[in-house]
Amino acid sequence: MYKALFKHHWLKSIRSPGYYKNLLVNIFMGLMALYFIVVLVMMGFMLPRLLREIAPQQDPAITFIGVMIYGMITILLFRYIMQPLSTLNLENYQILPIKRDVLVNYLLLKPLLNPLNYIILCLAIPFAITGVSPVYGTGGAFRFLFLVIFLIWFNTLLASFLKRKFNNLLLGMIVLLAVEGVLVVLEYFKIFSLFHLSQDIFDFLLGRSFIWIVGILLSGLAFLLNKRYFSKNYYPEKIDRKVKRRDANTGKFTFMERFGKIGELISLEMKLVLRHSRTKKTLYTAIFFLFYGLIFYPNNIYDNQHGFLMFVAIFVTGIGMIIFGQWIINWDGAHFDFLMTRDIDTQTYIRANYYLMLALSIVSFILTTPYFFFGREIIFYHLVALIYNVGVNIYVYLFAATFNTKRLELTKGSSMNMQGVSYKNFIVMIPLVVFPSMLIVIFNLISAIHIALIILTLLGLSGILFREPLLKIIEQQFLRRKYALCTGFRKKG
Amino acid sequence: MQDHESNAIKLSYTPPPVPDVASQGAGVITATNLKKIYHGVAVLDIPFIGVGNGESFGLVGNNGAGKTTFFRLILDLIEASSGEVKIDGEKVARRDDWKSKVGSFLDESFLIDFLTPEEYFAFTAKVYNKSEGDIALFLESMKEFFNGEILGNKKLIRDLSKGNQKKTGIAAALISDPQILILDEPFTALDPTSQIRLKRMLNELKTTNNMTMLISSHDLNHVTEVCDRIVVLEKGNVVRDMPTNENTLKELESYFAV
Repeated sequence: MYKALFKHHWLKSIRSPGYYKNLLVNIFMGLMALYFIVVLVMMGFMLPRLLREIAPQQDPAITFIGVMIYGMITILLFRYIMQPLSTLNLENYQILPIKRDVLVNYLLLKPLLNPLNYIILCLAIPFAITGVSPVYGTGGAFRFLFLVIFLIWFNTLLASFLKRKFNNLLLGMIVLLAVEGVLVVLEYFKIFSLFHLSQDIFDFLLGRSFIWIVGILLSGLAFLLNKRYFSKNYYPEKIDRKVKRRDANTGKFTFMERFGKIGELISLEMKLVLRHSRTKKTLYTAIFFLFYGLIFYPNNIYDNQHGFLMFVAIFVTGIGMIIFGQWIINWDGAHFDFLMTRDIDTQTYIRANYYLMLALSIVSFILTTPYFFFGREIIFYHLVALIYNVGVNIYVYLFAATFNTKRLELTKGSSMNMQGVSYKNFIVMIPLVVFPSMLIVIFNLISAIHIALIILTLLGLSGILFREPLLKIIEQQFLRRKYALCTGFRKKG
Repeated sequence: MQDHESNAIKLSYTPPPVPDVASQGAGVITATNLKKIYHGVAVLDIPFIGVGNGESFGLVGNNGAGKTTFFRLILDLIEASSGEVKIDGEKVARRDDWKSKVGSFLDESFLIDFLTPEEYFAFTAKVYNKSEGDIALFLESMKEFFNGEILGNKKLIRDLSKGNQKKTGIAAALISDPQILILDEPFTALDPTSQIRLKRMLNELKTTNNMTMLISSHDLNHVTEVCDRIVVLEKGNVVRDMPTNENTLKELESYFAV
């Protein structure tokens, strides 16, 4: 039975209409995965040296096991946000004489087979060789790897349990963040050290051969928690949130409605974002990415990599636009025929999208102003990035949007969902972020970054100045592509 | 034998090349030399059709006959391979002017499924510059048709049943008080009571507002009750074009009984 279910799952994924058409995206994703694997493996080998630098007084392995519980909670948080709940069209199978237990087990075990979950092993295996085995011996290194695998299982199962239990992404996120925050505060004030506790526990376990029993018990516990949840919530309407009747919750955006049809359209898009799981998760992802700058700005290593700093500046100040911009027009796919037959002229429709993007980039810019504390240079970069985003990138997005004829399924999927994404989305990135970064790099060679910044500013300003003719061009382009868009959006799945 | 003979008679029927419509040429909607070709196959080929002001135009035909294609061409949702559609003498292709005159509901892509019906009506009405008062008045007039199932229960349109979604879409097509109404299979998925109410409503709109209507249907009964003119499409061609009278239903039934 399990074999049949897994086979159906496999067939479903390879027979989805987007699978072959999306080959380029898949290749791109494959390359990304390869990149991460290489980076992780290298990090795994480097880690002992790095840890020794951070904490020279103790063995790298000891430092590592000290942060392991923190790492677990952090990964749990990420999983909680990103990991999609495995679903099965339960009703299809429920009417067949299949034991419910089988279905539930299948649902729970399916994510454990996802290779993506084990990518952390790329870091753990090199570290086991270079970091763990000198301290705990070869046996200890193997025990360490077992432990990592069990912890992956524990984490994966716990994340899906919490996700089902909380039923509210934001609330769960806040709770998890709060737990971690409290632990860090306790650690900082030396009231309770999870670091030492973690060290003691894992140090004890790594030396014992019964470590794998503990691992199994932990994963088993998480598994049973899930099982208990399912036995309590017997009917699929309880499990599948989509089936459940939901009261429409979100408030009105009456303030937008003062701006006539354009305001109406923008408030429609805002509702669209807040009432679909996929867009909502993407919104959280965007908020997360606002902190992207924290990795680079405080770090002096990047002070001289101006091209890279420009990249980061454009990315964080334009995050709202970059993330939602690739969906513009496209996300109206499900009700596109409606929009095209109502009394909304093309000019109004394009302008509504323009103002939405404008608002997104201005909001992102304001939210990233705290980065100004990292130096005057950052202020310049951010201002130039804002002007470039508003003056160039908005038009690029709007123009490019007319080529994206794939219907976006907004009701399903997580933030890492690639449905409705095509290679065109990646091509757009070139003028958006690559061009300005390259410009900086090139002018840096002749130590004239200021010229690059001036060029970018002038480009942006002229884009703002020539808004009307540029929007006119986009309208014309939209009309040219209108039928292709209509036809494309009508194709489901 | 008999069957065979009656078939033979039917096949020998040749439709008039240009239908004899009183309002021809001056129709509210005219389609001239309209052709839609997909992969070398003409799915719609109409030399001329004119729909007169206030006329209720019924479109019947089996699956794949080109009904929805015809409607989509009128609504400028697909590009004609050749020919053109005009509304009030103005081309529709890539224009916006006609949109203020037309109310339409073809399928679920005419719904915004993440809104509640109230929000959807409000949005549609605002687009046509209607006031809050207009909306309230309109919803009041729809009360009977909605049968208490659409408004006030805080459900999103995507959580409504197919029938209630259809009612919502039809109502939204009417909210702008359009001069022309285009509905694709409005009776399917509706419960019997709603079907009867819809027929009554359409007949009222015809007499009181002189609304021009284009309605496609698989239900020959309903369409002959609502429309004064029936056009039969087969494989993209107009094979019958007749005013409705007491014999129309029989004629249609015998046509489709193959």
